[in-house]
Amino acid sequence: MTMHTSSTAGTLSSSRKFEFRRHPYLLAVGVFILLSIVNAILQPSFLRPAVAVSNLASFMPLILVAVGQTYVILASDIDLSVGFIISVVNVVVVTTIEALGGSGGAILAGFAAGIATGILAGLVNGLCVAVLRFQPIVTTFATGIIFAGVALWILPQAGGQVPAIVWRTYAGAVAGVPVVLWLLAAVLVFIAVFARTRFHTALVAVGGNMQAAYQTKLPVTRIRITSYVISGLFAALAALALVGETASGDPLLGGAFSLSSITAVVLGGTALAGGRGGALGSLFGAIILGLIANVIFFAQLPFEYQNLAQGLVILLALAGGVFVARR
Amino acid sequence: MPSEPITAANGTIPRSLPVLRASRIAKRYGGVTALAEGELELAPGEVHVLIGANGSGKSTLCKIIAGATGPDSGVVELDGAPRHFKAPRDAAAVGISVCYQELSLIPQLSVAQNIFLGREKVVARTFVNSRKLNDDAARLMERFQGVAGENFFPNTLVSDLSADQQQLVEILKTAAEDGRIVIFDEPTSSLDNRQVELFFGLVREMKSAGKAIVFISHRMRELFEIGDRMTVMRNGRTVGTFDAADATEGQIIGMMIGNDIVSSAQSPQEKSPQARSAKTVLQADNLTGRTLNGVSLDLAEGEILGLGGLHGQGQSALLRSLFGADPAADGIIKIDGKVVKVSGPRAAMALGLAYVSGDRGRDGTLSHRPVFENLALARLNKSHATYIDVAAVSDQVLPVAERLKLKYAGLGSPISQLSGGNQQKVVLGRWLAAEPRILLLDDPTKGIDLQTKKDLYALLAELCLGGMSILFYSSDDTELLSVSDRVLVFADGQVVDELAGERLTEFELNQAAFASSASAEATA
Amino acid sequence: MTLDTAISGRSNAVKKWAPAVGVVRKPLFIAGVAMMGILVAGEIVAPGFAAPEQIIKMLVVAALLGIVAAGQNLVILGGKEGIDLSVGATITLGALIAGNVMQGQDSMIAIALIATLAVTFGVGLLNGIGVTVLRIPPLVMTLGMLGVLHGSLILLTRGRPSGNSAEMLSNLVDDPLIFGLPGILIVWIGLGILVTLLLRRTLFGMRIYAIGTNETAARLSGVPVGITRTLLFGLSGMFAGLAGFFILGFTGNVFLGVGDQYMLPSIIAVVFGGTSLAGGRGGYVGTMAGAVVLTLLQSLLTTLHIDPSGRQIIFGATLLLLMLFYGRQQRLRS
Repeated sequence: MTMHTSSTAGTLSSSRKFEFRRHPYLLAVGVFILLSIVNAILQPSFLRPAVAVSNLASFMPLILVAVGQTYVILASDIDLSVGFIISVVNVVVVTTIEALGGSGGAILAGFAAGIATGILAGLVNGLCVAVLRFQPIVTTFATGIIFAGVALWILPQAGGQVPAIVWRTYAGAVAGVPVVLWLLAAVLVFIAVFARTRFHTALVAVGGNMQAAYQTKLPVTRIRITSYVISGLFAALAALALVGETASGDPLLGGAFSLSSITAVVLGGTALAGGRGGALGSLFGAIILGLIANVIFFAQLPFEYQNLAQGLVILLALAGGVFVARR
Repeated sequence: MPSEPITAANGTIPRSLPVLRASRIAKRYGGVTALAEGELELAPGEVHVLIGANGSGKSTLCKIIAGATGPDSGVVELDGAPRHFKAPRDAAAVGISVCYQELSLIPQLSVAQNIFLGREKVVARTFVNSRKLNDDAARLMERFQGVAGENFFPNTLVSDLSADQQQLVEILKTAAEDGRIVIFDEPTSSLDNRQVELFFGLVREMKSAGKAIVFISHRMRELFEIGDRMTVMRNGRTVGTFDAADATEGQIIGMMIGNDIVSSAQSPQEKSPQARSAKTVLQADNLTGRTLNGVSLDLAEGEILGLGGLHGQGQSALLRSLFGADPAADGIIKIDGKVVKVSGPRAAMALGLAYVSGDRGRDGTLSHRPVFENLALARLNKSHATYIDVAAVSDQVLPVAERLKLKYAGLGSPISQLSGGNQQKVVLGRWLAAEPRILLLDDPTKGIDLQTKKDLYALLAELCLGGMSILFYSSDDTELLSVSDRVLVFADGQVVDELAGERLTEFELNQAAFASSASAEATA
Repeated sequence: MTLDTAISGRSNAVKKWAPAVGVVRKPLFIAGVAMMGILVAGEIVAPGFAAPEQIIKMLVVAALLGIVAAGQNLVILGGKEGIDLSVGATITLGALIAGNVMQGQDSMIAIALIATLAVTFGVGLLNGIGVTVLRIPPLVMTLGMLGVLHGSLILLTRGRPSGNSAEMLSNLVDDPLIFGLPGILIVWIGLGILVTLLLRRTLFGMRIYAIGTNETAARLSGVPVGITRTLLFGLSGMFAGLAGFFILGFTGNVFLGVGDQYMLPSIIAVVFGGTSLAGGRGGYVGTMAGAVVLTLLQSLLTTLHIDPSGRQIIFGATLLLLMLFYGRQQRLRS
């Protein structure tokens, strides 16, 4: 956080800097367009609506969890437990629906139970970090272990089945528009609306300078708890999307989402130090991660090179994201 | 000259009933008593000056009144009823606002967002209308238009503002809270005279609106200009409250320090001119950079060359570029006549330079590390030691500690347990231990107590006698003029005048500084 | 403590280190209590849990974690959100290199060690360069490196890792060497002394604390900040490699992901050892204690024959409980 002194630097360069700093998602959008073009070249069917929708359906869980993670990181905290929240919610939803017999009501009850579980998990994180003042990385690592244990306890082995209507709906359309597009639109609206709330400013303030925010009379503790609850809620939504995608329960399903959600957030131009960035960038960051895997798959690299290529591209993109966020 | 003591007894009765009374406030941090018996009484419509040496408890008292920290004992009464604030929110709810010394701004938010943070007018209890927010902020900022410098707009990010602009935002933020009781904790330390005048205009308006205002500053002249009543603190105790009109500077200083250093406090020991040789040690030629506009100077052996002018005119930038902390983009630096390249602090150290910043929290102390490490760090980095022989190094740094009259529990105790003045001494000591030839002092007495200042002046004179050359920037004009042999007056990153001999007066200094800044503005 | 006596013998201006030492010792005290508590609890529910040979077995596991945590500790002490998420993959890489160079031959142990340390030090340096030159936050840089290493491991092994430990190395880890202690414990204790000396008695150590406490002040005082921090990451990679080397001896052969389980525990051990994640505060002795506590706790839960889910829940809950005692953030209200 270097302090810039006001200078008489040329207006053009300073105004361009302004653009990037205030719109840190722009780089992610650029990379997204570039990757889409590359993807379309390598995989001609990429632009076909059905393929695009099915891609989006598979990216949706990461999009959701990354959006939630953004708000925690904006407040300069971090949530390593989101992956395991996804696992817990996933098994809660599937077992609830099964236990209640798979009727329409059972599905709703299952979804409600899942969302409640996510919120509760976020609340636990928030209370530990903001009220008990535990260190965020270690705390959410520890709660993550607990959530993973709870998931295993509820459903020791992958299995269970949700009624066909769940995954048919997720893959289907409402009013002629695919459900995942509705979801995407809802997420975009949420991001846009939420960014204009007083709470969002408060979140940035807490992440920017927590002590100053406290002195300014912001309810810092409540703000931090709320950010974790939002993260838990979005992890739960991600789990619901996963249920729609996989149609079954798996206690080990979510683990990888913790680190990849952080990767997506950083790719989207949000600073890990807090106070700078936004959820729109994370949305594109999540899509970028999915596209990278796509592109590498369709580039027909030998299997053993794929992981390395993916790792290198992500590292490069991360470095680029950080580099631009600093401009 | 023994000063006439003023006591609370011969102080005056407040003009009207007090809005706030803090009595017998005590506060300890760990083992350190910050406040032993703090007393303060505020009447509506007064500017109440709170004055005391550093560590006398002013800031702690303010923090307790503002609810930022809780007292160990004592009562804060508001309108006669005792209050227990659990958080700043509680104090704010009853109309107490504070402008903190260490700013409470969020760098990533805009000026407007900062001014109204947490108090934004919202639509549907949720949404912020950012255009209206900017308009409201612009109305408040108008007051400082013309003296605030460039890029001072509602939508500018605070991280893009200079230090004085940030201070102005903090002031506006406090004013916008519209509290009944407003505490300004050293709001003027980074402001120049014109900004201070406009700030005082704001204070006077608040005063006539019936607010009770607490004002803290280390600049005596300001205290007398704006203060109605004064409360003096010493060693965590309130030693007296009286009308500003009844007091003299000497009396106040006497109460603040409680001993007889009054008359000599502001004047350093006599310098002996014969100690200075004509040999030029350091030369700078046309240094140019972000805030430097072609600065040239030469520094003789054993000389103290002062850098003056309004705050932030390139004095600090010059020192930092000479030390390689922020290297200048262009220009030549010569040491002993030889052109040198100062690429960074390490290169500068090898050339015998040392840099002491007045912003010790940012540039100086390694808080919670032992005094030993804080003293030895530069010396050890200069040597190419791998293994540290603690005993031997202690032998080398202890004489420095003694020379600085450092008050500390031991080399092993963390520096954070020392008072501010003593921490600053340690930072200076770190450089003395590194045995430099040229000392670059960047406002080294900012916010430290009179006794420490006095010790430092004496030490500087002594160092010069030993052949050290010193570049000395101070934001305190009186101090600058009395310590320096010559003073270069800075404006807009340039040297606009050089004062020496009879011209070393505050009048000449201000004339040079203001004349040039006025002309610079006219051309801009 | 020795520093204390050295100085106080020198001058009477030096009186007490007590406050500083008090802070440092607190986590050690808690770790000690936790160790005793776990041992007693273990002995009650499963007699033999606290038997000497059992304790030594657990200490061997703790040593492996402790060696990784040494590097993690240095990086975290260096501040600026220093953390190394790539240690897990680096361990696997180290074990893989060691196993392939060694191929079970005693004569190749030394060469294998040198090769392992050189490569992993290089990996760490890359992290360090990313953090200091490209100014990528450590969490991001090492997270990215984790992905790259993971891909490299798959490429190197084609999914079928090879290489195995020499008998001498396995014996060093498993069999008693001196006073009934396996060689690995002697190595660990030696390492503990070395790292502690490095931190307390060398200029490099002083620089680590300086950049961790106040980087600007350190730079202005002549500390080569970038080089110091880059070296810290290099050392972290090297310690992970060293751990991989011994883990090869411990398990006999290599499998992909052998190091993954050490990544987050290495951070936890450092934090429970009283090192602040903000940098500049703490030391390695506490970290060693933290590694022992973590390992004992895991052993206890395994011994209790609780099913995996219950074990995880209890482990996580215990971590949270331990957080109550230390590793807490500062109060906003001072």
